Amino acid sequence: MIRIEKDAWRTVVGHAEAAYPNECCGALLGVCENGAKLVKEAVELENAFTGSRRNRYEVRPEDLLRADRAARDRGLDLIGIYHSHPDCDAYFSATDLKNSCPWYSFVVVSVRGGKVDHVRSFLPNPEQTAAEAEDVEIPSGN
Amino acid sequence: MAKVLIPTPLRQYTDQADSVELGGATVKEVLEALTARYGELKRHLYNDEGKLRSFVNVYVNDEDIRYLDKDATPVKDGDVISIVPSIAGGNHGR
Repeated sequence: MIRIEKDAWRTVVGHAEAAYPNECCGALLGVCENGAKLVKEAVELENAFTGSRRNRYEVRPEDLLRADRAARDRGLDLIGIYHSHPDCDAYFSATDLKNSCPWYSFVVVSVRGGKVDHVRSFLPNPEQTAAEAEDVEIPSGN
Repeated sequence: MAKVLIPTPLRQYTDQADSVELGGATVKEVLEALTARYGELKRHLYNDEGKLRSFVNVYVNDEDIRYLDKDATPVKDGDVISIVPSIAGGNHGR
């Protein structure tokens, strides 16, 4: 289960809608408490994919390294990665799976017509052959 | 000694340590010392062929070892080694 606090969710929504019709990506920082993940901050990262970013995203490892260090400095942990799927469901695609890692929650945000529609989260396995759905909770009124 | 920063999800295999100080002259030696101390960590960093998993990148301070001498990259006292995954994707391909 991953719960996203209000300010962090606002950042994710703003980023996903501003990037539309391209995909966006970012880091989710927070804490793990009793097996539940709580996202306190979302950090926008540049979509570094060099081709069309309408249906692809890529996180630069050095950007992720910086986000991880910033989290440590503030007593937080890097616990998830978010990205958007413009005009598409928030599913975990074959491309997502093949380029994932099993260490983090992968939060996928569906954006339809420029507005966030729904969100899901996934936990890929180490072999990158399957991803299990994870419950995700966002602030009410969104 | 070099300091290896442990990603949050892997701390369950390092007795919750967020960093570990280890000796070793190269990245390979330091990572071997790490996985010797925390055996459970090995399968999360290496595949069945004993190679670093495809999504695992290693940095010495701010440098990606792929652009240095890979796992033969020298490590000196005080260096910070980070383990950073490659992440990409997109709705291209169901």
